[in-house]
Amino acid sequence: MKQRSAQIAAKSKTRKQNFSLLLFTLPALIVYAVFKLYPAVFGIYYAMTDWNGINKTGSFVGLSNFVRAFQDAYFWQSILFTFKYVAVMVVVANVIALMLAVAIETRKHARGVFRTVFYLPNMISMVIGGYMWMFIFTKVLYYLADNYNGFSFLDHMWIGDPNYSFIAIIIVAAWGTVGYLMIIYMAALQGVPVSMKEAAELDGANAWQRFWQVEFPMIRHAVTICVFWTLNGAFQVFDVIYTLTGGGPGRATQSAALNIYEEAFRGNIQYGYATAKSTLLLIIVLVITAIQLTVMRRREEEL
Amino acid sequence: MKKKNLFAAGVNLFLILCALFTLAPLLLALLNSFKTNGEILTNVLSLPKALTGENYVRSFGKMHYLQSLGNTVFLAVGGVGLIILFSALAGWKLCRTKTKLSSFLLSLFVFSMLIPFSSIMIPLYKVVLALKIKNSLLGLCFVYAGLGVSMAIFLYHGFVKGIPKELEEAAAIDGCTPLQTFFRIVFPMLKPVTATICITNVLWIWNDFLLPLIILSDNKKYTLLLSTNTLFGQYSSDWSAILSALVIAALPVIVFYALLQKQILKGITDGAMKG
Repeated sequence: MKQRSAQIAAKSKTRKQNFSLLLFTLPALIVYAVFKLYPAVFGIYYAMTDWNGINKTGSFVGLSNFVRAFQDAYFWQSILFTFKYVAVMVVVANVIALMLAVAIETRKHARGVFRTVFYLPNMISMVIGGYMWMFIFTKVLYYLADNYNGFSFLDHMWIGDPNYSFIAIIIVAAWGTVGYLMIIYMAALQGVPVSMKEAAELDGANAWQRFWQVEFPMIRHAVTICVFWTLNGAFQVFDVIYTLTGGGPGRATQSAALNIYEEAFRGNIQYGYATAKSTLLLIIVLVITAIQLTVMRRREEEL
Repeated sequence: MKKKNLFAAGVNLFLILCALFTLAPLLLALLNSFKTNGEILTNVLSLPKALTGENYVRSFGKMHYLQSLGNTVFLAVGGVGLIILFSALAGWKLCRTKTKLSSFLLSLFVFSMLIPFSSIMIPLYKVVLALKIKNSLLGLCFVYAGLGVSMAIFLYHGFVKGIPKELEEAAAIDGCTPLQTFFRIVFPMLKPVTATICITNVLWIWNDFLLPLIILSDNKKYTLLLSTNTLFGQYSSDWSAILSALVIAALPVIVFYALLQKQILKGITDGAMKG
């Protein structure tokens, strides 16, 4: 009898706790459900309708949007471009960021100045940064190439030629992200005990060996974070391409996000079809980040 | 010893070249923003003939600077205010309640953190149309709250774990309602993580381009970035107007950075390490 009333009391306590929990989480839950959860879940339904600018709800068309997306050469081209961009960005941005972090850490003075300077582009939107670089690519580089013999290698159609516009996009995107990664690498490097570095130095290890055999294994976790972050951001690349090339020339530099945006909000407004494409993008991103995290976590544990 | 000096000199050279490369777009934009289009055409590296603010006056008016700035401030303050209020309440209670429901709710909030914006963009647009908040700045603040609470709740939840709950219990015994306990006792203690969340979210909303691009269509509601983008589209070869517009569009964040650099860099590191 006593036990039972204790059970009932515990139950009503839980109920009371849950009620107050719901009250406190309600505001967050409402905005989250309406603006994130619902779009994420019902996106899959909309992807199976012919919803467009004309018929407001659209009727159910099954998987035909997905079939169409699989046959859409421009969409695959944009996916391939995104892959190429992601691969190059992950390597370039992380290598440069790590080099900067290590270089700054070797210095005794003026660390703060360099850190401040390298982080600055991250503060500025890629839209503004992109247009500033546009000025460099379309005016400054030509000027340098025309007036100084040593710079004649800069004489290219940086925005108009697909090969060079890819390089231009990478330069601007790396310019805008490296500082952020560098800050994370610097924080991780500062966590490496000085005694370990000194011990390695006494054992006669040179700077190169010290980095790869002492410091790098200790900052593996930061590498995982930074690669994850670049990967996730790079798959969604939009601003920098929108401002620099607009996806051109033709569709040579169109990323998946830009392709989806154009399908939905430019020209022949096909929301249902564009949602199907964005669902495919979502699956690709989730699979790849899951693989990256498992592989890199396992590597971290091996050490 | 000689080898060591050479190495240090090499590192210095590398850092200085990288710093120049980093600053080049900003400095070139600033330098040329004072020139006429003719001067830009003849020499992009020369100093301006006269230091007049004429270009600035022109772009200031063309991009409706004050209005765009005001709209952006409104979004950042409104969005971040909602994110902080909603997530602190939720994160605290989720951490302090140990029931099945609380762990379910926490995973519900956290699971979607990986979903990229571009893949929910179109259904979200539909929600915005259905709620009739297209073109509404206040509505957009709530959209930002919806997109931002996951990460913020995650950070608040982690932080609350580390603070003792005796104070809260004492307050409850003294007759404080849960809401009073939250605002008087808990929220002040959350200050460090609130600062981190505030900084990362202000920067996110301030520099966000795609969401306002699809939601705001009336140029009276435009953010700084949308106005800059429009100006670029209209005057694509008028570099003296564009560059001066870019400089004043970048100015607020640069000032923000100059004033709060330490907090910003700390906030970024904390946010990244825990996220």
